[in-house]
Amino acid sequence: MKPLRFPTALTPPLLRRLGLADVVILGLVAGAIATVVAFAHEFEAPFLQAVRIDLRPSALPRYTLYSLMRGVLALLISYLFALGFGWAAARSRAAERVLLPLLDILQSIPVLGFLPGLVLGLVALFPTRNMGLELAAILMIFTAQAWNLALSFYNSLKALPDPLRDACKVAGWPPRRTFWQLEVPAAAQGLVWNGMLSMAGGWFFLMVNEAFRLGDRDYRLPGVGSYMSVALDQGNVSAMALAILAMTVMIVGVDQLLWRPLVVWVEKFRLDETTGGAGGRASSWVLDFLRRARLPRRAARLRRRAYLTARRATRPLEGPLRAATPVILRAPRFAFEHPIARKLAGGLLVAGIAAAAGLGLWRLWLLLARLGPPEWGQLAWSAALTFARVMGAVVLSTAWALPAGVVIGRSPRLARALQPVIQVVASFPAPMLFPLVVLLFERLGVGLGLGAVALMVLAGQWYILFNVISAVAAIPEQFADAATVFRLSTAARWRTLYLPAAFPALVTGWVTAAGGAWNGSIVAEYIEAGGTLRVTRGLGSLISEATAHANFPLLAGGIALMSMIVVGWNRVVWRSLMGWAQTRFGLGT
Amino acid sequence: MTTDALLLEAQHVTQRFRLPNGQVLEALRDVDLTVREHEVVALVGPSGCGKSTLLRLFAGLARPAEGTVLYRGQPLDGVLGAAAMVFQSFALLPWLTVAQNVAMGLDARGVHRGAQRDAVARAINLVGLEGFEAAYPKELSGGMKQRVGFARALAVAPEIMLMDEPFGALDPLTAENLRSQVVDLWRDPATGVNTLVVVTHSVEEAVFLAGRIVVFGSNPGRVREELVNALPYPRQERSPEFEAMVDRLHAILTATLLPEPVPAAPQRLVPFPRVHVSEVTGLLDHLVMLPGGKGPVFELAEDLGVDYDRMSAVVRGAEQLGWVNTPGDIVQLTQAGRELLAMDDAARKDATRARLSKQPLFARLLAMLKEEGAVEDEEVLADLTIYFPFIPAESLFHTIIEWGRYAELLDHNVDAGRLGLLGTPEGTPDTRVE
Repeated sequence: MKPLRFPTALTPPLLRRLGLADVVILGLVAGAIATVVAFAHEFEAPFLQAVRIDLRPSALPRYTLYSLMRGVLALLISYLFALGFGWAAARSRAAERVLLPLLDILQSIPVLGFLPGLVLGLVALFPTRNMGLELAAILMIFTAQAWNLALSFYNSLKALPDPLRDACKVAGWPPRRTFWQLEVPAAAQGLVWNGMLSMAGGWFFLMVNEAFRLGDRDYRLPGVGSYMSVALDQGNVSAMALAILAMTVMIVGVDQLLWRPLVVWVEKFRLDETTGGAGGRASSWVLDFLRRARLPRRAARLRRRAYLTARRATRPLEGPLRAATPVILRAPRFAFEHPIARKLAGGLLVAGIAAAAGLGLWRLWLLLARLGPPEWGQLAWSAALTFARVMGAVVLSTAWALPAGVVIGRSPRLARALQPVIQVVASFPAPMLFPLVVLLFERLGVGLGLGAVALMVLAGQWYILFNVISAVAAIPEQFADAATVFRLSTAARWRTLYLPAAFPALVTGWVTAAGGAWNGSIVAEYIEAGGTLRVTRGLGSLISEATAHANFPLLAGGIALMSMIVVGWNRVVWRSLMGWAQTRFGLGT
Repeated sequence: MTTDALLLEAQHVTQRFRLPNGQVLEALRDVDLTVREHEVVALVGPSGCGKSTLLRLFAGLARPAEGTVLYRGQPLDGVLGAAAMVFQSFALLPWLTVAQNVAMGLDARGVHRGAQRDAVARAINLVGLEGFEAAYPKELSGGMKQRVGFARALAVAPEIMLMDEPFGALDPLTAENLRSQVVDLWRDPATGVNTLVVVTHSVEEAVFLAGRIVVFGSNPGRVREELVNALPYPRQERSPEFEAMVDRLHAILTATLLPEPVPAAPQRLVPFPRVHVSEVTGLLDHLVMLPGGKGPVFELAEDLGVDYDRMSAVVRGAEQLGWVNTPGDIVQLTQAGRELLAMDDAARKDATRARLSKQPLFARLLAMLKEEGAVEDEEVLADLTIYFPFIPAESLFHTIIEWGRYAELLDHNVDAGRLGLLGTPEGTPDTRVE
């Protein structure tokens, strides 16, 4: 395809050598800069507890961009965290032993419960500016994004073939270069795919993160989530529809402009040489478009020239600097390389972490000690109710997602057509739809006690569907051929081939779906829709209510209990089920 | 030759590894080896004898658990700058072009940009890769990839080139072509490379390349024998002198790999070689077609397309079951072996059962199972680790299960993780073959 060009006569001389792609890039860059500047203003704005949210449609684009900025910033922080965390865990056996279980716990506990503490702390830190509230929102999004990225990076590092590492060492690469040129590229594919998942996961609590009540205080940040929540408060149906539309446009836009090109680009960093997964090679119209642009190449040339100029300018300084560097570096190098110093530093680090953990446990204990037997009884009963709902949601999700996943996974055509659609739908934050679903249920006469199960299905079902689709799509063609040759009936095919082959992935899906359902319970059992509050008994509503009434002992108790149930269930039930599924039904020999 | 300076020395080197299941394996024990300037040294021996481990120690990629490694009399501290390395799996970074891969080692050696371009061009020229500079590794064939591997090593003009089975992943034609090029590169003073250390699985390759061949034994890895190979370069693979040298190396390897059975105490436990049932019967099927039912082990390896170290394991398995004898490097089918081949499947299983029940390791295991009923896998694995500390217990366990199942002796339940006895038809082992 030829690059798209403007007619020469109509083009100003400065643009004459540039294509349409370059102009689009310039526009995007300008837009991004404008957004960042506007968002920085937002950060610096004087602190107001409840910003007035403008429900006019014209305000929505700005709000959506603000929300997007929060998600992107949180993702950047998540990536930094993942690189550091994964590197440390893969590098040191001691760190590995501490960090991996920690990660496992962090990714399975309901982080939303920490929002009140985070907000109070950060707002106290920046009493006059919006910064505290903004940081709290970004950190909350971060807590939904970071863990799978860290795990993915760690796994990639662990899977790196030894000869590649050896080759870099023999070449004399310093650790920093090996990190950026071997370890990060080798992990790039996993990091991008998980970044996609993280971004979607980060939107889940958008509404709560941008607008929530703590006791008698009302915290609100301008964004599409708070827009939706105000629209719900006022029962403004058209504003709700607009917010959902804006959210959808944002998700599709991010998917097409950011993730698709990235997914195609990181193909380059594939380590094994087997080509492509299911559905053939990915393609991205945006990347094709961008590759035709001339501007990036020009920018690169300019940058190189600037670099050379800078080098020339600093040349007089290089001599003294070269003499000074070893002296400057000696102390840290000594600290890192000397065995005793290293042990000491490690010991101090461990002691610091232990002290922080001890302090945290002590504070938690003080809070929990204020709960009496009736409160504990209430907690236990609520936990049982929510547990039943979570399991119900897992069963219901499986009931539709398993057959649908098998059907989609078996048909490459269907998978190709539906995958992008499902991806976008799955990225949509389910809690935004909760109020609408609840109103619908009320029309049908279903109470929130049961309705919450349906809401939790919304929060967890996609994980099951995705896992089943990819597992079934990965069944080697020979198995299907064998089933055809031996004339297996459809029922026998499902029983002997599809279901067993999908089972390990199904278990993985269950783990995440149950996690999503537990998280979802916090917003599904306690819902404000059409200006009225609906509550059903459960651990989720207990946490939400404790937040709303600033009842910190009960809040701490609820979070601790939920964390314990989720982590315990993961450890005992899911893990053994997963091990069994792998040895019994794994397709690897 | 002996007047040349000592380049690399391993003194009393011992190296250990911890397997994922916690077992500690000794890869090298008390190894002494020197490499002199202008030498080509080949390290040969069965897999698991630690020859690759020693190569990594020479490169400074690992530190020995005990002992020292010296370069020109100085203890090695970190990666050896005077060495470059070539890997069996090529170890090229897939996201770098050929030229970028070749340039990998130049920055650390302080070569500035302009000189780097020259060094890369020179190295690419030496291995005949002109025109491929901008290609990515995945676009190249295996042979071309290894040329990039050599170019990357040559680009830094190393004093020593360490090669870990550099032709192991290549097809025979490509390997042969590249092998003679390596000799040319070594003899060419322009490359700067004056010493080669190569780990190989091929006897011909060792004789073709090396001036000194070091034979390693396994369990634990140590130096068994050194063979000086003074044939003039370039070597002719079909010449009688070459063949004679190959035969000498064969003889040494046979003594290492297929030692004459020592009339030891009958209770002494011998590990069963980790080979499959079908490999042993395949060997017998092949032998019976040969005149006299016998052949030299290295010819068998070549005919059957497996490397000598695998072949000798299969032979040892067949020998333990009494189906072959191994006088010297000859493998001879026994009467029992011939009888086995004449049997139908059921009778073969009976015969194997009788033989296996007498193999000391199986006998001990069967006695234990008879006494205790079914036992946990973990328990058997722990026992194996104690009996044979140098053998990965997990893989030995799988071999035992395969043979035990084939002979209808053992019953293994993966789900429960337990091993038990399978009731024999008459309760007593069949003795028809005796």
